[in-house]
Amino acid sequence: MNWTVITRSIRWRLLLWIAFLLVFILAGLGVAAYEIHWSHHLELLDGQLRRQVVDVSSLFYMPPPPEVSGNFGPSPDGSFSGRGPGPSRNKPFPRAKEIAAKLPGLFQRGDVAGFYFVLWTRENTDVFEQSTNTPADVGRPLTAEGDTGTYVRTRGTFREAFHTTERGDSVLVGRSLVLEITEARHFAGWLFLGSLAALVFGLGGAWVIITRALQPVKTISSTAGRIAAGKLSERINVAETDGELGQLAAILNSTFARLEAAFAQQKQFTADAAHELRTPIAVLISEVQTTLAHERASAEYRESMSACLDTAQQMRRLTESLLELARLDAGQEIMRRDRLDLAVIARDCVKLIRPLAAARRLAIHGDFAPAETVGDADRLKQVVTNLLANAVRYNQDDGEIRIATHVEEGFAILTVADTGQGISAEDLPRVFERFYRGDKSRSGSGNSGLGLAIGKAIVAAHGGTITVASQLGRGTTFSIRLAI
Amino acid sequence: MRILIVEDEPDLLRSLAQAVREEGYAVDTANDGEDGLFKAKGYDYDAIVLDVMLPKLDGWEILKRLRKTKKTPVLMLTARDQSRDRVKGLDTGADDYMVKPFDLPELFARVRALIRRSVNKATNLIEIGEVAVDTAARNVTRGKSPVELTAREYALLEFLALHRGEVVTRTQLYEHLFDENESSLSNLLDVHVSNLRKKLGAEFVTTRRGHGYCVE
Repeated sequence: MNWTVITRSIRWRLLLWIAFLLVFILAGLGVAAYEIHWSHHLELLDGQLRRQVVDVSSLFYMPPPPEVSGNFGPSPDGSFSGRGPGPSRNKPFPRAKEIAAKLPGLFQRGDVAGFYFVLWTRENTDVFEQSTNTPADVGRPLTAEGDTGTYVRTRGTFREAFHTTERGDSVLVGRSLVLEITEARHFAGWLFLGSLAALVFGLGGAWVIITRALQPVKTISSTAGRIAAGKLSERINVAETDGELGQLAAILNSTFARLEAAFAQQKQFTADAAHELRTPIAVLISEVQTTLAHERASAEYRESMSACLDTAQQMRRLTESLLELARLDAGQEIMRRDRLDLAVIARDCVKLIRPLAAARRLAIHGDFAPAETVGDADRLKQVVTNLLANAVRYNQDDGEIRIATHVEEGFAILTVADTGQGISAEDLPRVFERFYRGDKSRSGSGNSGLGLAIGKAIVAAHGGTITVASQLGRGTTFSIRLAI
Repeated sequence: MRILIVEDEPDLLRSLAQAVREEGYAVDTANDGEDGLFKAKGYDYDAIVLDVMLPKLDGWEILKRLRKTKKTPVLMLTARDQSRDRVKGLDTGADDYMVKPFDLPELFARVRALIRRSVNKATNLIEIGEVAVDTAARNVTRGKSPVELTAREYALLEFLALHRGEVVTRTQLYEHLFDENESSLSNLLDVHVSNLRKKLGAEFVTTRRGHGYCVE
């Protein structure tokens, strides 16, 4: 997995962001917890140190209670004056051993848990007395003149509390911080492990949620992939893709359905076109092979040749129609945009079709109100002529054809109605389909099955619509509507 | 041999019928599904050439209905060449399938094969004593020398040879040697039989009084 994949993948970008946030928050919380933990422990130690500073200094200056009079305290030599607390300047201070004995166990341990004390007298900058476990180089703490507060300081790995008496003597109690540092390191270790667990848990949860959220996308993309590979009937399972992506899935499904229908139509068209072209070829081959099989009289040759010619003409019409449809489909046929009157076009077409109608004794009734619109007169004539030819072809003898033009609600309308056998409700929606014929077979060489499809394409290229209405046994009416 | 051709494209029907007729078959034609089914059920054709796309009744439907009563060999003709169409045709009961446009020699060969299989013959050569009938080349030899026969005489011989050992009735012969447009003059058949005996030997065709003819 390279960097591009990570930066482009929604999953990885989200995970990176969540990881960043988690690390940031956990680090902040960890540092804060560590600080609190450390200062709490330091405060505890400081409390002990302060108390011991007080204890130690009181041992110096407080007269010993009578029952504890011994080898410590105001000595029998009267070193404590009766004037006040504290030994007199001239009186000797209790020695370290005595203090240690007074505070048993407190200043003797030589390990890291052991407290130590150091005393300085006012006069002497050198250490006056210290416990045996005192580390080297303990400097005398400096305080402002007259300041008798108790302070704490950290010196290397030692924590020390000190106090300067009113008289100017200094008392210091300290202890190694190693215990606290070790404890803090442990705590930091646990914090780190806890944070790591939280990070893993958080990222794992995010992974699961993102995976679930992206599952529909995966479903959609794999379905789309299969469709692209040719399995057009595949659909996204919408039940699996609820939520925000469900709507997308539904839209995609309807798109796929339309795609499939378009493909099916295209396939049907290709199959139909192949069929329509193969039949005349079959006729040609059969006709020529039959004729060539034996010697013929010249009349027979002539008959055969004219049959071949008819077939070839039929193929020519068909290929021309197919080419025209292909050009219309591709939008390559440019429609002229001239002002024209549908009434004029209708009259011209009727003139053209009259001999055909007369052959079947059909009456043509025209009702031509002016219906001006914009379009390509030749193309529209082609459509209307085709409609009239159909009206003749599917009419009954002695029937009628009514053709009318008028304007209605901003549309120029042309209608062609016949009194033929009509079109069944089942066939009606499909009459504009390519090669669609009501009786599912070829109905003679004159009808390519493409006329209405071409007509529809031409009208559509004009921005208009062509519709059909029919009653079985009564007749059929086609209407062309063009915007004025 | 009598063959029915059902095809709605008039030019194709006409040329096909002519070509098959010139191959020596009796040919009936139908240009829509209903007529085709009516004729197919009405006669024992030796083979039927059936277009798929037909007005009124399509080829599939004709085949389905015909198969309820008859085993007549059927060759389907269609411009649809997809495999599933062929499968459908064969499964519906068609015996063979040809895609338009087709070659007439191939069509004839397939029709011959259909007829041959329908009478349980494996080859085109039928040998009866010293007489050999080649149904593909449509020629007859007696010993080593070729025998000249008219088309009708050949058709009669071929039918009898294919049904060798069976008694073939006069009605059967009329039904298989003459098409629907020919007037069946009974003495015509006797003339052909007598000509065959002259050319192939008096004993070649035996007459079973009151039953018909037989080639042993």
